[in-house]
Order: sequence, then C-alpha cells, then structure tokens
Amino acid sequence: MADAVIVVALLLVALSATAAVAVRDPARQALVLSVLGLVLAVLFTVLQAPDVALSQLAVGSALTPLLLLLAVHKVRRRGKKEGHHR
Amino acid sequence: MNGWILAAAVVLGGGVGATVWGVATGPLRRRVVAQNLCTAFACPALLLLSQGYDRPSYVDLALVLALLGPVGTLVFARLLADELAADPPSAWGLTYAAAAVGAVVVPALCVATGPSRAMAKLLVVGALLIGGNLLASRALSGAFPEVRRG
Amino acid sequence: MSRRARLWLVAVGGAGLAALFVAAALDLPAFGGDHHPYGDRAVHAALTRRTANVIASVNFDQRAFDTLGEMTILFAAVIGCVILLRRTHDEHRGRPAPEKVARPVRRYSLLVLPVALLTGLYVIAHGQLSPGGGFQGGVVAATSLHLLYLGADYRALERVRPVALYETGDAIATSAYVVTGLAGLIGGSAFLANTVLPYGTFNTLSSGGTVPLLNAAVGMEVACAVVVLLARFLDQTVEIEEGNGK
Repeated sequence: MADAVIVVALLLVALSATAAVAVRDPARQALVLSVLGLVLAVLFTVLQAPDVALSQLAVGSALTPLLLLLAVHKVRRRGKKEGHHR
Repeated sequence: MNGWILAAAVVLGGGVGATVWGVATGPLRRRVVAQNLCTAFACPALLLLSQGYDRPSYVDLALVLALLGPVGTLVFARLLADELAADPPSAWGLTYAAAAVGAVVVPALCVATGPSRAMAKLLVVGALLIGGNLLASRALSGAFPEVRRG
Repeated sequence: MSRRARLWLVAVGGAGLAALFVAAALDLPAFGGDHHPYGDRAVHAALTRRTANVIASVNFDQRAFDTLGEMTILFAAVIGCVILLRRTHDEHRGRPAPEKVARPVRRYSLLVLPVALLTGLYVIAHGQLSPGGGFQGGVVAATSLHLLYLGADYRALERVRPVALYETGDAIATSAYVVTGLAGLIGGSAFLANTVLPYGTFNTLSSGGTVPLLNAAVGMEVACAVVVLLARFLDQTVEIEEGNGK
C-alpha cells in the first residue's frame, strides 16, 4: 500500500518521458521536458532522494526551458532570414 | 501509508496525470496551460509528501518549485509570445481549480504543523505558489496591457 | 554504410545492451529492504564527522575527489560554450529594441528576484544540514538574476551582470576547491581529506569540517558558470546578428 505513490510516480515518468520522445516540434518538446523534470523530481522525492530531486527542480523548471527556447529562437530566426534571401 | 501520502498520490495521479496528458497532446495553447498547472499540482503534492514522511526539510523542494515553476512558465510566455498571441490560451476554470488545491492543502498542513517557523515557511510557499501561478496564467493568456520599459 | 547495415548494427548493439541490463537487473538486491551495507557505512562516517546531511558528507568529504571531477566538467563545458558562442568576425552586435513587458509581470519579477536569490543562498548555506547544497543553490541563485530579463529586458540584466566578473568568480571558486584540498594535503593526511578544521557541533551551520567550505566553493562555481552560460546564449539570441553574407 505504501508503494502506491511510487507506482503513480513511476507511471507518470514513463508517460511523460515517452511523450517527450514522441513530440517532434522543439518548442513543444521543451514544454513536455519541463513537465518531465517535475515528475522526475516527484519520483526522486518518493524514493527518499531529496537532494537529487532538488537538483532536478533547480535545473529542470526554469534553466533548461530557457536554454532550449533561446536556441530554438536563434535557429528559427536564421531559418527565416535564409528563406528571405532565397 | 498514511492519509497525507494517500492525498499526495491522489493529487499526483489526478492533477499531475491530467497535466502530463495535456502537455503531450493538442495545440500549443493547451500545452502551455498544462505546463503551468503541473507546477500548481506538483507543489502541493510535495508538501503533502513532506508531511506524510514526517520530514520538514522536504518543504525546501516545494519552496524551490513554488519560486521557479512560475518563472519557467514566464520563460515560455516570453519566448513563445508570437505563437501564443495568434492563438491565446485561456483556461481560467482549470487555473482556479489548481489554485484551490494549493489553497486547501496549505491551510490543512498549517493546522497539522501548529504555529511555528515551519508554518510561516508553509504560508510563504503557498503565497508564492498561488500568486505565481495566477500571474503566469494571466501572462500566458496575454490579458495584460503591455508597457514599454524605461 | 548503407541504411540496412546501420539498422543491423543498432539492432545488435541494442540487443546486447538489453541482455546486459536484464542480467544486471536480475542480480540487483530486491526493491526496498533493510540491508544497506554501503549506506550504513556512509551514515556512520558522516555522523563521526558531525555532518547532518549524509549526502553532503558523501559529496564533499567521502567522495570529494569525485566532486572535483564533476566541477571540472562543468568548468570545461562552460569554457567550451564561451569559445563556441563567441561573436565571429562576420557577425555584428545589434541594439535590440526594448521589449514590451506587462506591468504585473515586472512587479512579480522584481518581487520574486530577491526571494529567489535568498533561497539560493539559503540552500547553499544549509547544504550540510538539509537537502540541497552548492549545486542546487547555485543554480537557483543564478536563475533568480535572470528574472531581470523576464521582468524588464536584456539591457537591464546586462547592467547588473558584468560577465567578466562572473568568469573570474568561476575560476576563483574552482581554485578555492583545489586549494582547500591542498590544505588537507599540507595539514598532514591526504588531498581533500577532512582533517584540517574542527568538526564543530552537530547540526549547526559550521559543522562538518571542510564540508561547508567545499560546498560554498561549488555553490559559487555553479552560480557563476550558469550566469556565464546563459549570458552567451542570450547574447546569441538577443544581440548578435549575422552578417548579410559576403
């Protein structure tokens, strides 16, 4: 019975990780990735690893989306420019 | 297994599970709302787990999430602004429902903790969480009049 | 290599990896359980050095050399990023127009910035007492500074963030870790050995000998590294524009 919350967390991780792979657009992938990070943090917490969970929260909730979206922005702008020149 | 952990499992399975589904499918406006609501559900769940395992130091996790979760949503609102402006998200019913989860969980935990420094920390987490989520939700829906800096 | 050969290669490699994983998983101890020989020893060692958070003791005392390696990886990664994302000769620095920001978002950012910064410092300072430590707190503190980018715009962030200072801070913090390690060597025993300082009172901010020092060094290194890393990314996205061809 005490394992119920572990099972729930594991299922959520499996679902969101699969979704993160299946989604193809990078911006939407960043959204799924940030949810995956959160769910992973919950999993680490229920497995009694709060230090790891805190690392995951610190990195996954704001820093990773920011880095990813900045990169996506730059690439898209370059694509637009090249399309314009052609 | 005690009532707190059971409540956390319910919030995780119902609330966070729904947001995982929401973020994985559908148009962009639905996904950003789901990403925002995920914070609103996961943070109360972490608080409940902290109480359930009887480890007050786990509240730090919820504190960091309540601070950085809305910041993450603001990052999306800022850098996806063009796409969101074309198709603005709006899910006030869900947003208030998620805020209500926080508004129920935090007072319940405060009662269980009793007046102390730990209770003050819980109240700070609750205020940051609910305030941050409502603001991030408004920022996503583009409901703010915009001002120029300077 | 043809597409077919590549698929075969992946299939053979994947099957081998899967077989090894299954074999390893079958040999694992059962989930949960109460027999943890390594955990018991780590907890015992942490308690003799009066470090309340056993993870901090493992990271900064029992396995401090591994942490030096991890720190060096981050340092090297940031240097690589700085080199790759520099402004090349055919790019020029644009003056981005001020961004539009909603007033409530600006108020929220300016309100949360000090709270997040304080939380980051709190997480670093309590690394040897509660969950958290230099890495986690450093990332939170560095992220909090970028609320200025979200709440105002990039120019406001640039004004409070001299990148050169953070680059220097990054290097100084990495050196501080090595110097603390050398102090252990000079103090009589071994590199990074926790024998230089008194262990203090259990569950106070100064307990744990060199653990708080190494923790603080990692916190500063990570915070500076993240700031420098994000500065390069933001430069590329917001300011640097490509040359219009030749």
